[in-house]
Formats: sequence, structure tokens, C-alpha cells
Amino acid sequence: MRGRDLAALLFLAGLGALLASVMAELGFGNPPLRAGGPILEQSPSQVGAANIVTSVVLAYRGMDTLVELTILFTAATAAGMVLGQGTRAGRSQSPAGFILSTAADALFPFLLVLGAYIILHGHLTPGGGFQGGTILAVAFFLPLLAQPNAGIDERITTWVEGSAGAAFLLIALAGLAGDGFMAPFPGGELGELLSAGSLPVLYLALGLKVGAELAGLMGRLLTEDEA
Amino acid sequence: MSPALLLAVPVLGAFVLPSLHRASPFASRVAGPLILVVQVALVAALWQQAVVHGPLVIELGGLPAPMGIAWQADQLGLLWCGALALLALVLWPREGHDPNRAATLTLLLVGAGSGLALSADLFNLFVLYELTALASFGLVVSQGTGAQAAATLRFLLLGATGSALALLGIALIYAATGTLNLAQLAQVTPGAMSDPLVLTAFALLLAGLGVKAELFPLNTWVPEVYGAASPRVAGLLAGAVSKLALLVVLRLLTTIFADTGAAMVLLGVAAVTVLAGELAAYRAQDLRRMLAYSSIGQLGLMALAFSVSNPTGIAAGLALGLHHLLVKPALFVMIADWPRRRPQTRGLAAGAPWSAAAFVLLALSLVGVPPLPGFWAKLVLLQALLGTGGGPYAAAAALVLVITVVEAGYLIPLARQLYSGEPAVRVRARIGRGVPLILALLLAVVLIGPVAQRLDQVASSVPGPATALPRLSASEPGQP
Amino acid sequence: MTSHSDLLGIMFYGAAVALLLIGLYTMLTRRHLIRVLLGLTLVEAGVNLALVAAGFRPEAAAPILGPGAAPAMVDPVPQALILTAIVIGVGILAFALSLVVRIHRTYGSVDLQVIGERLASDPDGTGSEIRRRAP
Repeated sequence: MRGRDLAALLFLAGLGALLASVMAELGFGNPPLRAGGPILEQSPSQVGAANIVTSVVLAYRGMDTLVELTILFTAATAAGMVLGQGTRAGRSQSPAGFILSTAADALFPFLLVLGAYIILHGHLTPGGGFQGGTILAVAFFLPLLAQPNAGIDERITTWVEGSAGAAFLLIALAGLAGDGFMAPFPGGELGELLSAGSLPVLYLALGLKVGAELAGLMGRLLTEDEA
Repeated sequence: MSPALLLAVPVLGAFVLPSLHRASPFASRVAGPLILVVQVALVAALWQQAVVHGPLVIELGGLPAPMGIAWQADQLGLLWCGALALLALVLWPREGHDPNRAATLTLLLVGAGSGLALSADLFNLFVLYELTALASFGLVVSQGTGAQAAATLRFLLLGATGSALALLGIALIYAATGTLNLAQLAQVTPGAMSDPLVLTAFALLLAGLGVKAELFPLNTWVPEVYGAASPRVAGLLAGAVSKLALLVVLRLLTTIFADTGAAMVLLGVAAVTVLAGELAAYRAQDLRRMLAYSSIGQLGLMALAFSVSNPTGIAAGLALGLHHLLVKPALFVMIADWPRRRPQTRGLAAGAPWSAAAFVLLALSLVGVPPLPGFWAKLVLLQALLGTGGGPYAAAAALVLVITVVEAGYLIPLARQLYSGEPAVRVRARIGRGVPLILALLLAVVLIGPVAQRLDQVASSVPGPATALPRLSASEPGQP
Repeated sequence: MTSHSDLLGIMFYGAAVALLLIGLYTMLTRRHLIRVLLGLTLVEAGVNLALVAAGFRPEAAAPILGPGAAPAMVDPVPQALILTAIVIGVGILAFALSLVVRIHRTYGSVDLQVIGERLASDPDGTGSEIRRRAP
């Protein structure tokens, strides 16, 4: 439909021009730092995590992270509702070839270790619960690609998902006894593995939850009936 | 007591529900409504506080804004938290092939919606809005039919695109001001952002919020979704969720975008929405679509009210919103057993006298016939529009009157048709879940005086930009 | 502000807007559902890029504390924001894909036009499940 394509092109050109002119007014390289500046200064003493982005994610903007993991949970639940009553006749898929099966088996322990490392060091180096959790999910998903008939045990993933999520929320609620909802707990030396109080624990719960969720979701999508 | 509980309690319940269901299906069926009852109790307690002490502002985690996220529990927000929880309780979705998942999604919707009403941080509002959207999508598709899936996908594509644009607006605002706290933004924006930049940011944010608020031209999903979803879900979406999106627009208008051209933009969009919606409703032959288009029109009226961002406008918007919250879900639930198309409802009253009478009542209130609450809500709207100076607002007032005639044009004949002629088939219809809503409506007729007073009080207690966060000093913190 | 910063700004913001526009164009003109979803992903990528570019400071380090005195660091807030935004995008994409699977099962196609036609003839979508290989 050439006419519609052309209309879309014109509209987008206009939008692009508008955005370009408006963004020219914004400087570049000189952010006002009304929020970022105080965070950079105070997070070592207030939160104690070497990775300041983590302290933003889990402490200063912890509520956003809580909502974010709830969004993943909602997506998994809603997707489960849509796919759920599918016939599990997807077991007719043939197992994958030699390379994939061998590689999946070989990579499994490495992926687990990598995922665990990234989760546990989220407060020290770039990474954290979401990134590490995704790697964990892939670790469980690769063998599934190699052996589609195996399936992923929904009960385990649901249980891990639910309890890890509840654990995260409960730690957040525990903050209510102190400074407020989602207040960070102090503890440990800056830069050590055991530092930043509750943050590594939060990321651990988060990583497990994300891992279980994504693994379950991918498993469900894969074993869908494909007629 | 922390307002954050209004989010935490339903969400915790949602996390636990699937496991609970495996352990004891009976417990999981009871748990959902029980949590909503707790939610209503929490709202009531916080409401008491807000009335006596004024809006409760909390900085989550004890970390001061703008570093951390701030929430603000004022009467306006708490009112909508309560309305959402109560409506969800009345319309608790028990049908569908997976009622447990539907229950989980409803709890998530209530939690997210409550957060949406209470948050005072721009990005926090964004993520809560996304959560509300996803929970809504899931509920629409709760019976798993292909039509529901198709309708939901269209809803999703519009919603996700709008949200991405809204995030771009947030990026613009953050790049220019460096903060996400609504109160601080209200202080800082006039100096930091030029008019074109501000209006562009507002337009982008409106593109995101307008999808759920059913504003033109982002509301093409409405007829399909309301036609395909179950009546209770349609009622929940039309009754509460759409209003929450408009509430966020109001929050933005009274803080960041106060004294800019943004109110005019909203006025324009709202006017087109009202016109397009009601005209489409007039032409609709399918009952559900008619109600869907009518809902678009009513939301447009509410947006018109909010574009007059003084307490009178806010009170008018509240009145319209609460009125629609009672009427539309009741209508959706009632017509579930009716025939789909208008001509087929001839003589329905013979087999279902109560339903027909209830329909007449609701239709009259929607049009705005005294002494029903709908009349009073429209009156306050006209007062707000005419009270503001300016041609555009007066034109909007004229539009409201025109639209009322149009509404009468399609609702009254339909109501009359119910009582005339012989039906082809005798329909047995019940009012069902609409009963509590209709009773509330009738109660409002009797109590209109105190209700009006209370709404005025709520509207005037909305904190202005300067009072919202006392801890932020008036002077700018220096840059590091 | 040096011209070097201006150039970087044009590059980053320009790339963000370009991604956004390409994504929107894809969503508006393509009929294949998966391609439309890919367009959505592009749109989100562009917006995330714009957001993270807002925190840039020239000659500044990543916001990770090491031994010794802390150098000037970029704004950590946008980085946390896009982390959240990306995950939200993933959630929505996952759910959208499950919808596509469901639609394919009912209507036998992932082509928007074909689905539209079949929807018109079977508005409730509960009719016979068309089992046919997708084109």
C-alpha cells in the first residue's frame, strides 16, 4: 500500500524534525545532576555499594525495581493465561542435533556459575539480579532447546518465582520498621563481597525470581502446540 | 502507617496466590477478596489521616527526594485507591478458564492502580502505569478466545508505542532538569525548559497516558476490547483504570505543566474525544460498542473538566469520574445476557422488567436528568467551564450541551424501545453485580449535598506545586 | 561546551531519534506481526538510548567506586532508569509473543490483513480453529 507508506514517511519526517529541533535545545554532556549529584556524593555513606548504579536501582529507586519485577511476574502470569490451556502435544518435536545437545550439556555448569557470579557481585561490578537471572534462565533453557520433550517443571519455577518475589517484598516491608519502606540496611565494608547490607540479598532474590520466571516462560513458549 | 502498603499488600498477595492455589484451592479463592477488604480498610485509615493532618508525604526508604522516590497520599489519590479496590471487589472476576490467574491479575491491577494514584515521582508513575497496562492486558484475555487475543494485541501495540513515546518525554524532561520529583519539577521547569520543549514533552506524555485514558486518537482499541472482554473486566477498565490514567494527567498538569499551554492542549484533545466518541455511540448498532463509545465520550468530558486545573474543575472531574464508575460497569454487567444488537432489544422489558428499569435509570443518569447524580456532575462541569475566562472554555461548555442532546438521541430511544413491541425471544436477564453499583447511585441521589461538599473538599485539598514536598528547600542545590 | 560534545550529542541523540523513527515506520507499514513487534523493540531501543545519553559527562568515569579517590562520574540515574525500561520492554514483548501464538492458533496466520479479514467473518473468535501452515 504505497499511499499509506508515504503518509507514514511524511508523518515520521515531521516528527523527526520536531524532535531534532527540540532536542537541540538540550545541551549534551552537562546534565543538571539535581538527583544524580547528591547520589554520587552520598551513596557510599548511605548505602555502601561500590556499584553506584546498583545503589540507585535497589535503594534510591528501589520502588521502581519492585514494580519492575512485578511487571515481569505479571507478564509471565498473563502469558501463562494465554498459552495455558494449550495442548501439550508439542512433544512431537524432534530432539536437536549433535552440536546443540553437546554444547547445551557442556555450557550448563558454566552458565550457572556465570549467572551466579553476576548476581552476587551486582553491588560491586556491573551486573545484578536481572542480568544474572537472565543468564540462569538461559542455562536452563539451552538443554530444553536440545531436548524439547523434556519440558520445564512448572511447579518448581512457580514456587521459586513466588517465594523469591515474596522474599524481595518482605525485605522491602521490613524497612518499614526502620526508616521506611525499602530502606537499605547497612553493613559490611565498601568493596567487599559482604557489603551494602541488604542489597546483595535483594539481588539474590531478584536473580532467582527472574531466572525461574524467564525459564518457565521460555519453556512454555517452546512447548506450545504448533499446528 | 505507610501508604506504600497500598501497593505492597495486593502485590504480595498476588505473588503468593499461585503457590497458595496449589496448596489449597479453597483458600486461594477466598484470599483475593479478603486482601481487597484489607486494602479498603487501609485506605480508610489513611483517609482519616489525610483529612485531619493534610496530605501525607513519604520519601521511600527514608532517602530524601530528589535522590529517592516520594509518594504523596492526599485525599484525591486515596479516594481513587478506595474506589478501585471497592470496584474490584464488586466486579471480582470469577469466570474464565483460569480464575486463579485472573484473581492474581486483579490484585496486581489494584496494587498498581493505587500506586498510580499516590506516587509523586515521574518515572515511578511510568513504571506503575506499565504495570497497570500489563495487568489490564492479561485480564482482557482471561477467557483465552482468539478475539480477545486480537483485541488485546491491538491494545498492547498502541499502549506500548504510546508508553515508549512517554518515556521519551520523560527523557527530555530529565535531560533538561535532572530530577524526576514532581514537586521539584514544578519549581524547576519554568526556568529550565522553554515552551516548545515543555509542550513537546507534554504531548509525548499525553501520547502514553492517552491510550488508557481513551483520548483521541489513541482510543481505537476501545470498541474491540470492550466488545471482546468479559463484562466485569470491561467494567473494571472503563470504570476505574481509565480514570486513573486521567488522574495522572491531572497530577502532571498541576505540577510540571502548570501555567503552560498544556491545559489548552488537553482541552483540544478532550473536545475532539468527546465529539468523536458520542457521535460514534450515536451510530453504533452493537450494544457493547455503543457503551464503549459512550465511555470514550464520558472520559473526554472528564478530561475537559481537568483541563480547567483549579479546584472547581477538579471537583467536576471527580464527580464525572465517580458517576461513570458507578454507571458504566453496571451497564456492562447488565447487558451481558441481552442480545448484541440494538434492534433486537425490542420489548425486552416484558421478560426482564427489573433490568429494563435499571437500564432506564442508568441511561437517564448518563444523559443528565435531574435529580440523578449525572445531572449534577454535568452541572458542576458547566460551572467550571464557564467560570474560567476565555473563549475556548465557553466553546467547550457549548459542546457539552450539544453532546448531551446527542446522548439523549441514542439512549432515550433505546430505553423506550425496551418497553414497546413484542420481543422475538423472551430474554431472561439479571442485574447481577450491577446491584451494589445501582444502590450506590441511588444513595448518591439522596445524599447529593454531603457528597458534593466532600468532593469540593477533596478537590481543594490537592496540594499545589510548592506545598507538595516541604523538605525540598526553595533554593537550588548547587551542582557537584 | 566544546564542539566535541556537540558532535557527540548529535551522534547519540540523532541515533536515538533515527532508531525511534525506523521502529515507528516498521510498525506502521509492515503486516507481519513479528516484524511489527521488532519495530516496537527498535522504538524502545531508541528511547532508551536517548535516556542514557542524557547522563553523559565528558571525561567522566563509570559510576563504580574503586580503591582511591572517586573521580568525576557520569549520572547514575539514567542507567538505572533504562535498566528498568529494558526489563519492562522484555515483559511486554514476552506477553505480546504469547498473544501472537494464540492468534496464530485461532486464525492460522500472523499477517495483519489476513487476521483482519478472518476477524470480520468470525467476530467472536471462538469458531473453528483453522489449522493451516502460516504463509
